[in-house]
Amino acid sequence: MKAHRHLAVVLILALSLTLAAFTGVVQGQAVKNPDTFVYQSAGDPESLDPAWEYDTTSAATILWNIYETLIFFRGGRTDLYDPMLATEVPSLQNGGISADGKTFTFKIRQGVKFHDGTTMTPDDVKYSLLRIMLTDRDGGPSWLLLAPILGFDVQSTRDEKGNLIPDIFDRSDRAIQVQGNNVVITLAKPYGAFLSIMANWSPVSSQKFVVANGGWDGQKATMAKFNNLPKPDQMALFDKADGTGPFKLERWDRGTKTVTLIRNDNYWRAPARLRRLVLQNVEEFGPRRLALQNGDADMIALGTVANLPAVQGLPGVRVLDDLPSLGNSPALFMTYNIDSEGNTDIGSGKLDGNGIPPNFFSDIHVRRAFAYLVDRQTYIDQAYRGKGRVANGPIPFGMLGYAARGKWYEVSKDKAIAEFKEAWGGQVWDKGFKFTLSFNTGNVARQTLTQMVKEAVEGLNPKFKIDTRGITWSTYLGLYPKHKLPMFALGWAADYPDPDNFTTPFMHSTGSFSAGQGYKNPEVDRLIEQAGKEPDPKKREQAYLKLQELAYQDIPTIYIRYSVGTLVLRSWVKGWYNNPMFPEGYEYAYRFAKGQ
Amino acid sequence: MGAYVARRFLLLPLVAVGVTVLIFALLQLVSPQQRAALFVTDVKQLGALDSIIRKYGLDKPVYVQYGMWLQQLAHGDLGWSQTARMPTSQAIAAFFPATLELTLYIFVPVLLIGVWLGTQAAVHKNQFVDHFSRLFAISLRGMPQFVWGLILLMVFYGWLNWFPPGRLSLDADLFTKSPEFHSYTHLLTIDALLNGQGWIFVDAVKHIAGPALTLVLVEMALLVRITRSSMLEVLRQDYVRTARAKGLAERVVINLHARRNALIPVITLSSLLFVGLLGGVVLAETIFNFPGIGKWGAEAAVQLDIPGVTGFAMFVAALTVLGNLAADVLYAAIDPRIRLG
Repeated sequence: MKAHRHLAVVLILALSLTLAAFTGVVQGQAVKNPDTFVYQSAGDPESLDPAWEYDTTSAATILWNIYETLIFFRGGRTDLYDPMLATEVPSLQNGGISADGKTFTFKIRQGVKFHDGTTMTPDDVKYSLLRIMLTDRDGGPSWLLLAPILGFDVQSTRDEKGNLIPDIFDRSDRAIQVQGNNVVITLAKPYGAFLSIMANWSPVSSQKFVVANGGWDGQKATMAKFNNLPKPDQMALFDKADGTGPFKLERWDRGTKTVTLIRNDNYWRAPARLRRLVLQNVEEFGPRRLALQNGDADMIALGTVANLPAVQGLPGVRVLDDLPSLGNSPALFMTYNIDSEGNTDIGSGKLDGNGIPPNFFSDIHVRRAFAYLVDRQTYIDQAYRGKGRVANGPIPFGMLGYAARGKWYEVSKDKAIAEFKEAWGGQVWDKGFKFTLSFNTGNVARQTLTQMVKEAVEGLNPKFKIDTRGITWSTYLGLYPKHKLPMFALGWAADYPDPDNFTTPFMHSTGSFSAGQGYKNPEVDRLIEQAGKEPDPKKREQAYLKLQELAYQDIPTIYIRYSVGTLVLRSWVKGWYNNPMFPEGYEYAYRFAKGQ
Repeated sequence: MGAYVARRFLLLPLVAVGVTVLIFALLQLVSPQQRAALFVTDVKQLGALDSIIRKYGLDKPVYVQYGMWLQQLAHGDLGWSQTARMPTSQAIAAFFPATLELTLYIFVPVLLIGVWLGTQAAVHKNQFVDHFSRLFAISLRGMPQFVWGLILLMVFYGWLNWFPPGRLSLDADLFTKSPEFHSYTHLLTIDALLNGQGWIFVDAVKHIAGPALTLVLVEMALLVRITRSSMLEVLRQDYVRTARAKGLAERVVINLHARRNALIPVITLSSLLFVGLLGGVVLAETIFNFPGIGKWGAEAAVQLDIPGVTGFAMFVAALTVLGNLAADVLYAAIDPRIRLG
C-alpha cells in the first residue's frame, strides 16, 4: 500500500512536470473560433427565467446578455448608473425621484424590440416587475423587489403559514403604474438603495411571449396559480427567452449543460461584435484549464484560489486578480444565546472546563479576546495566497460607508489574555472552557481558519479547548439559524451594491446572520433603518461609518476578509472590463471581441 | 427458456419496489433540513428553509413521502431532478445514450483483446506473452482509474490535442443540433454515419477515445487474468487431452474445445462489467466531462437529489436484472448442459 502511494506521488509529480513542459506548445497560437466566445464554468444555470433565478450562474447567463434592465452600472462603478431600457437615470435633479424619495419615474425607451420582433412597451416593464414580485418561489429573488417597494416587512407574498397575502396583488399593482410612456414606482418608504436594485433586478421580458408560452397573464385572478410553483420548468421562461439584449437564446442543452446564445442582429444599439456565446459547465478544474491552454475556452472559472498557480504563466493567458469584489468572506460569528438542547457543541453546558454556558459569548470580554487572537493577514496569506483585503467591518472595500481607517483589534496575545482574565468574573481563565468550532466540509479556507483559532486559543491556557469539526453544508445551514453553533464561519456576497445589503444581514436584529447569533442593539437597528431610507449619500455614509464603529465596539462578529475577484481569460479576448457586479466575468459580453 | 425469461421480467417491478423502498428508508437518516438544502444553496435563501420543507413534504413520515412518490409514478412522473435540471425520466433518456455509446466502445475491445490475450497467456504459460500479460494486467489494475484518466487527458488533450473532453467539439455540436442532422439512435457515431457525416463521426470518436481508452486499459486487465486462469483450468481437463490425442489441430483444440468451456466465468464477469459500465462510469465521465448517466447519478447522490437518485437507482437495478438474465441465457447457449427453468 505504501509503495502504491509512493507510485501515485511520483506519477503526480511526473504529471505536473509534463504539464509544465507542455505549456509551451500554445505559443503563437492563432485565435480559435474568432467570432465565438466560450466560457467554461464550474456550475450550470438552474433556470433561465428571470423571475426564478437566484444563483450566480443563471444570473450571469441571462443578465445582461439576454435581458436588460432599466438602468445599468456605469463602467466599473457600482454607485453610478447609465440609462439602459429607460432613457434617463431618475434623480432629484431631473425630477425622476420625488422630493420625498418615494416615487421613481422611469421614462421607457421607444422602439426597442424584443428578440421575437415585437416592440417593448411600458406595460411589458410593469408586467416584468410584477412577475418577479408575485410568482415568488420559496428561496427565490422576489423579496428583492417586494421589500423595497412594499416595505421591508413584506419579504414574501405569503404569510407564515404559506397562505397568499390577500391584497398582495393590489398593493403591487398600485405601487407600479404605467403613465403614458413612463413607469412610475412608488415605494412604501424611501429607500436609498432602490436604484442599485433596479440596475440589477429589473430585467424586462415580453408579456405576450410569456403568455403564449403558458405563463402568467398578469391578472389578479390567475396570480395564485403561478405563485410559488414547485418545479422550475413550470415557469414559462425556464428554457425560453425573449428579452431585448444583445444576444438571443439559441439553445440550452441540459444534457451537455451548455447554453448557447446568438447575436441579436436587430439590437437597439449596434449589434455585438461576437456572433455567439457558448457557456459550458465543466465541473473539474483540470479539463477547464487544459481547454484554456488549448484555446478551446476563452475564459474559465478558476474555482478556488488554490488553482491560481496552475494558470499563472500560461502563454496566451491573462490572469487578473485582486479585482474589486463585493464580498465579505469569511467572517467568524459568535452566538449569544446558544440552544443547549441536545447540543454537544457546548460540552457540559457549564463553565467548568468541559463546556461553555449557552450565553458564553454574551460577555464582551470573551468576544474581544477572540478578536485579539485572529491574525487576519496571516490567515489571508495562508488560506488565500494573500488574495483579499483585511476586513474591519461589514461594509466591503470600495462601497459607500466603507471605513478606510476603521478601528479593529490588533493581534495581541497579552490583550487576549487580559480580556479572558476579565471574562465571566475571571472564571474563564481559572476554569477554562471547551466548545466545538464548525466549518462546512470541503471549504478548506474555513477549515484553516478554525484550525488557526484553535491553535491560537489553546496556546494561551492549557484549560482552553476547542474542537474543530467539519459538517456538511446542508447541516451547517440547518443548524446556525437555530442557534445551535457556538461559533461559525460564513460569508456574504452582494445581491445589489449597497451597504444596506451588508449591514442588514450582518448587524440588524432580523438579519440573516445576526438573528442566528441573537445579536440585537436597538441603536444599530435604528441606524440601519435610517440609513436605508436616507436619500442623501453623505448622510448615509455618516450612518454607515457609525455602524462600523458599533461593529467594532459590540463585536458580535470578527470580520476577516473582503473578497477579491480573479479572472482567467485568453489574451485574445478584448473589450472585457471589471465591474464588481460581474462575478463570473461574462455578464456583459456585448463589448467582447476576439483578436490578437 | 421462454418461461424463465418471462419470470425474470416479472421480477423487475419487485426489484424496483425493493430498491426504491430502500432508498427512501436510507434517506430518512438525513434530516429534512439537509434534504431541503438541495434547494438552498446560499445563506440568503435560509429564510425559506421551513417553507421548502413544507412545500416538498420533506418532514412527512417516510411512508407518506413514498406514497406521494408512487402517486407521481402512477402518472408516469419520476419527479424533478434538480441536479439534471429536468424531469428524472428525461434525464435518464438524455444521459443514457452517451454512456451506452461509451460502453460499446469500451466493451467490445475489452472483450476481444482481453479474451485473446488471456487465451494466449494460458496457452503460452510462463513464456513471454504470459509474463507480458501479467505485467500488463498488474500495471493497469494497480493504478487508480482517475490517475489513468488524468494521464490520458494530459497527454492526449493537453499535449497532443487529439482527444478533447466533452462529447463533441463546438462546430460538430452545433451541426448535430441543426435541422440538417437527424438523431436516429442518439448514439452520435452511429447517427453520424447514418447521416453520411464522416467528420461528425471522427469528431465523436475523438471525444469518446479518452474515456474509452482509460476504461479499456483498466477493465481489460481483469478479463485477461480471468480468461487465463479459466483456460489453464480447462486445458488440464481430460477431454482436451483426448482432443489432442485424436490429432486435432492445436488451433481447433484451443478455440473450439478449450476456450468455449473456459468462457463461463468470462461471461459472468463480462455481464457484470457491461452492466457496471452502463450504470455509469463516474470517474472517467467526470474527468473527461463526458455527459453520461454515471456523472449525473453521482452528482444526484452527493446533492441528495431524491427523485434523481431514486430514478437512477431503479434504472441501474433494472439493468442489473437484465444483464444477469442475458448472462444466464448465454450460459445455456454456450454450455448445453445448463438448462434454465
